[in-house]
Amino acid sequence: MDITAGTIVLTLIWGVAIGCIYMLLATGLNIIFGVMKLVNFAHGQFLMIGAYLTWAISVAAGLNAYIAILVSMALVAGLGVVIERFTFRRVLGTEKLNEIFVSLGLIYIFENAALLIWGDQSQQIVSPFSGLSLNLQSFSITYDRIVAVFVVVAVLVGFGLLIGKTKIGLAMRATSQSNGTAKLMGINVEKIYMITFALGSALAAAAGGLYGIIFSFNAQTGAMPTIIAFAIIILGGLGSIRGAIVGGLLYGIAEQMATLFLGGIWSTAVAFALLIIILIIRPNGIFGEKGE
Amino acid sequence: MPVTQQLYMFLRSKGFQLLVVCFAVLALIPIFITDSFFLFVFTLIFIFAIYAASWNFLANSGQGSLGHAVFLGIGGFASAIIGGKISIAIIGFLGVIQMPIGALSVLIQVSVLLVGGLISAGIGLLIGLACVRLKAWYLAIVTFGFSVIAGSLSSQFDSFTNGISGFAPTLFVPGGFPFYILVISFTVTSVAVMYLIMKSRMGLAFRAIHGNEAEAKMIGINTAKYKLIAFVISTFFAGIAGGLYVYFIRFVDNSIFSPTNSFLPLIMTVIGGLGTVSGPVIGAIFLTSVGQILTTQSVRQYLSTSLGPFFPKVGYVGPPLTYLIIGVILLAIVIFSPKGLESLFRKFYNYLITEEKGDKTK
Repeated sequence: MDITAGTIVLTLIWGVAIGCIYMLLATGLNIIFGVMKLVNFAHGQFLMIGAYLTWAISVAAGLNAYIAILVSMALVAGLGVVIERFTFRRVLGTEKLNEIFVSLGLIYIFENAALLIWGDQSQQIVSPFSGLSLNLQSFSITYDRIVAVFVVVAVLVGFGLLIGKTKIGLAMRATSQSNGTAKLMGINVEKIYMITFALGSALAAAAGGLYGIIFSFNAQTGAMPTIIAFAIIILGGLGSIRGAIVGGLLYGIAEQMATLFLGGIWSTAVAFALLIIILIIRPNGIFGEKGE
Repeated sequence: MPVTQQLYMFLRSKGFQLLVVCFAVLALIPIFITDSFFLFVFTLIFIFAIYAASWNFLANSGQGSLGHAVFLGIGGFASAIIGGKISIAIIGFLGVIQMPIGALSVLIQVSVLLVGGLISAGIGLLIGLACVRLKAWYLAIVTFGFSVIAGSLSSQFDSFTNGISGFAPTLFVPGGFPFYILVISFTVTSVAVMYLIMKSRMGLAFRAIHGNEAEAKMIGINTAKYKLIAFVISTFFAGIAGGLYVYFIRFVDNSIFSPTNSFLPLIMTVIGGLGTVSGPVIGAIFLTSVGQILTTQSVRQYLSTSLGPFFPKVGYVGPPLTYLIIGVILLAIVIFSPKGLESLFRKFYNYLITEEKGDKTK
């Protein structure tokens, strides 16, 4: 393939669009980690469920796909509440490995439940802009990718306002600094955990809806995005929202560039290579604080 | 003197006798159950037992890996490729079409597997060097990343590995009963060796690191060194399991590096009982049997007719249903009985014993 300036610009724009989706997913994972000190390896499965729900709602009710995303966000937030209440809360504070085991159990349950309900064929959500693209001189880009960027920005701004300006946001920030002190200040920490987890899941569902509009997806879709989101928050620093945003963009662009220059099989491996090198040099991430 | 004395003590110890009994019982099973399906399931169980035990060994030193399939795969690929080259050389040398069967080929098979394990351990040393400073989920993600990279590398150097289309290794030991004996010899030895290491001074260091790394460092344990040693030993056995697995199913391709294979030993160990000797074995027995029973013809038919209509989108409900149930079991074990099935069996056994004693006093 000829690599011209045009293809590089196109790859950059694609990278930004995909990076935005990962950014959303990573922000959800990050807020859960920041407040609860919990890494939910099943986070990508919420993306997958979100994508399926968006698809099912837009097909069954004939809704606009972008409005269906909102409904699916609400549903997945509810699912998040149930999952937090009955699984993670019970192992929180025990050995860290237990959280990984619980996540793994959830991955198996979600993936196979989705497989049983929705089948093994790949689906893609049909949005009002499907098939339309913006044509510039040397390249064209689908409207869905451009819209995705705006949706992500809107969601993140809303999320930022929630964290920064509301009382719940204040309580979440307090809990993330020290849950013991937060408890002493009269914050219901368990309730904050529940809200945080629901919020994180909803962000994953939003990412899922956008993912399902741009790519086709199936029950196994969740696994890779989880790992990628995790890579992003390690790049950006665990618990830092700004880091997740920068990391998401960098990752999206790096992945698309690797695909362009090295070929498809290397798209994820390059990202991991980068991640591993960073972790070897700085075991707690680029912006991570030194532990113990 | 102490070494020979230790060896003597070991040969006379109850543990060793138990080992011999275990081996004898396992070796005798196929004589009574001659069904080839059972032999297949049993062989698979004991291959996975080594794999799960190797993961458990690593977890005992406080390191949880999510990418053990790397070493399963490297062990498998290495022994299959080397075995292939050796068999070509031997056939060329002797001028026969097939491998002669005998003590020599058993020796070759065993050494090929050991070499596969050593190569895996060598790669394990390199990966371990990258991993010793990492904790909990950082380690999990990095080991997982290595399994993704291993798959990509194997595709990239396809002319050497033949990983994309896959290939069948040349068997030195005939399949069926002889191979089963080979597998259980490896299983019993591997589990015993790992047990002995855990009981030794080195094992004490591993457990101290698992308990609290900072404190272990404080009392003068070189934590990085011991974590690296644990990594190398674990990857050696994972490599051997990989070699056995590849020679057993007679096929190897890049899918051996899949996340499913990475999660398998973890799930087995957790269900069986993390940190115990019998845990991984119990988990391997449990998980492999559940998986294999669900693929038998009669169960397949029953499931398709009874549950199939409820899930019209899936061709066959068996595999997703199995994994769903495994997920539920894993969750239930972690939440309600974090020490696994092993502790449940122990409780049940203790309960029985106290019942009997209670009866005697009446």
